[in-house]
Amino acid sequence: MLQCESEPMTEYLLRRLLLIIPTFLGITMLVFIVTRFVPGGPIEKLILSKQMGSMDGKSSGMSSTSGRASQGTLSEEQLEQLNAYYGFDKPVITAYFIWLGKVLQFDLGNSTRYGEPVWDSIKSRLPISAFYGFSTMLITYLICIPLGVLKAVRHKTWFDNISSIFVFIGYAIPGYVVGILLMVVFASKLEWLPMGKFISDGFEDLTTPQKILDVIRHAVLPLTAYVVGSFALMTFMMKNNLLDQLSSDYVRTAIAKGCSYRRAVVMHAFRNSLIPLATNFGNNIAFLLSGSFLIEKIFNIDGMGLLGYESIVERDYPIVMGVLVISALLQLTGNILSDICVAIVDPRIQFR
Amino acid sequence: MFSLDPITKKKFARFRSIRRGWWSLICFTLLLILSFGAELLISNRALFVKYEGKFYFPTYGSIYPGKTFGLDYDYETNYRDLKKVFLDQSSNNFVLLPIVPWSAYESDLKDGQYPPFAPSIDQRHFLGTDTTGRDILARLVYGFRTAISFSMLLLIATYSIGVSVGCAMGYFGGKFDIILQRIIEIWSNVPFLYVIMIVSSIIVPRFGILVAIMVFFDWIGMTWYMRTSTYKEKAREYTSAAKALGASHFRIIFNHILPNVLSVLVTFIPFSVTGGIVSLTSLDYLGFGLPPPTPSWGELLAQGTANLQALWIVTSVTVAMIVVLTMVTFIGEAIREAFDPKQYSTFES
Repeated sequence: MLQCESEPMTEYLLRRLLLIIPTFLGITMLVFIVTRFVPGGPIEKLILSKQMGSMDGKSSGMSSTSGRASQGTLSEEQLEQLNAYYGFDKPVITAYFIWLGKVLQFDLGNSTRYGEPVWDSIKSRLPISAFYGFSTMLITYLICIPLGVLKAVRHKTWFDNISSIFVFIGYAIPGYVVGILLMVVFASKLEWLPMGKFISDGFEDLTTPQKILDVIRHAVLPLTAYVVGSFALMTFMMKNNLLDQLSSDYVRTAIAKGCSYRRAVVMHAFRNSLIPLATNFGNNIAFLLSGSFLIEKIFNIDGMGLLGYESIVERDYPIVMGVLVISALLQLTGNILSDICVAIVDPRIQFR
Repeated sequence: MFSLDPITKKKFARFRSIRRGWWSLICFTLLLILSFGAELLISNRALFVKYEGKFYFPTYGSIYPGKTFGLDYDYETNYRDLKKVFLDQSSNNFVLLPIVPWSAYESDLKDGQYPPFAPSIDQRHFLGTDTTGRDILARLVYGFRTAISFSMLLLIATYSIGVSVGCAMGYFGGKFDIILQRIIEIWSNVPFLYVIMIVSSIIVPRFGILVAIMVFFDWIGMTWYMRTSTYKEKAREYTSAAKALGASHFRIIFNHILPNVLSVLVTFIPFSVTGGIVSLTSLDYLGFGLPPPTPSWGELLAQGTANLQALWIVTSVTVAMIVVLTMVTFIGEAIREAFDPKQYSTFES
């Protein structure tokens, strides 16, 4: 993909943007079809809950048995209405294109659970995930870049070795297990920090500084879990890049010309070693906004990840599809964004 | 058996010189051996019974009904009780129990008390029991065995598919490559966890089915690497030379390109192993993995987080996960370093 051939960047980007369309269609169609052929959809759920309801009715009292039969099971007519309501009466492909047409008008449909527009639920969750995403990224960069530099400069010293052990342990454990561990120790055992949720129950009544403190207190544990899960890769990327640069000729030249080692690192090698980190930036976008549903589940944070997860468990397909649309678009644009980032930081790279 | 060329020997020597990785490999191999012979350490069947002058080895093979040992029932002998009976009789009869005399499936029911029970050396529940009274150590060890088998199977399947498809893409190129690239891009953007969750909530995913579903989505990771490296190797002179000599595609791929590409694949293996373990654990944690009562780490993790007052559950499983995953990662790190020909020359400041 990366080639040193001169061709306008815009043309390349345009082509990449156009390629989003077939990929996006493919992804959504695939999941749409899966959701259609999976049993246990909203109608079956409804029928089941009706049957359960009638069972309860029978056990609770024998008074009016006449109306029970019609209440217990849905009539053909009602079923047809429901099928039409959810769009199950049409063939899959037709239903898909009807859905797609609505999506193009920014209408993601209504949640089958709550009946409210899907877009509203996503809109209320997105900022929460974005808050965690951006904070995670910020903290990760703030830790990784200095740590990576330090590790590279002190390559093969005790500092490098000891920190490597910790970085690798952090890399080995999945973020949500870190989350569980943190919750057990700091929230359950020591009770220093809250167990979960994004804000406390009485959040509205707090003053502004208290509100900020409240958000921070809730954010400490999940953020740590997020950061531990993601900082290892970045640290090693930084370290290895810098080592690459430090052993390259231009740094040797700089030192030979009488430039101090410190200056050679900071002014010459450091800037070049940041390039590969930029490629990573765009890929993070999707992750930033969609969040890790495992961490969100553990800390009971109402973010995008948890929304997607719950909607699958509850078979709330409009939300499943809505979350998918958002995350697929983010992912696909993120890929292009990282290409742009690379082109900006390194003018030598041109795209074909 | 097979002779090692000097480069491989050198790589191996370099691997051994990285002590962290080398010791992790030794410990991990030991753990593997122990877990696959776990019946000898953790089982409700006795290792060895001496009854009326005859010897029995119940660990493997068919069960011995209680009547064999003069008890009054036809189902499998409870060897812990048998031991007490023999002790009371103070005869020559003898039972040798494993260190942990509990199986991973068996609930330790006590009158008037409700599980989970805290760790106790007397009861031989070294890490306590879970919420249904099953021994945690037993479930951890057998769960490890499940996880590692799962991970290995997944690894073999994904690598074979990924390597073949990626290699074909890189070697044949053209339309085949372009079409597969699009398909793979779609594939990799489908949130596979969604599909796994949906599928496993319809059918109860037995071990094989779960591996199959995971393979279905996991093979992609390998293809990109294989595609680019095959592409590079194909452009090298030795491939052209082979082609000029009239070698078939089959011969070029298997005798020339693959041996050159595959060596680097070794460095990916440990990370795929941890990936497999983590995937299975996460799925089990969410309740979409293997059906109960299969011993699994994810299920213990879920129990532990739901029962924070029984701290021993969550502590034992997280510690086990950290230890195993860190060990495998250390091995991976050491392999990667051993395979990396790059030796940095840095300046003295």
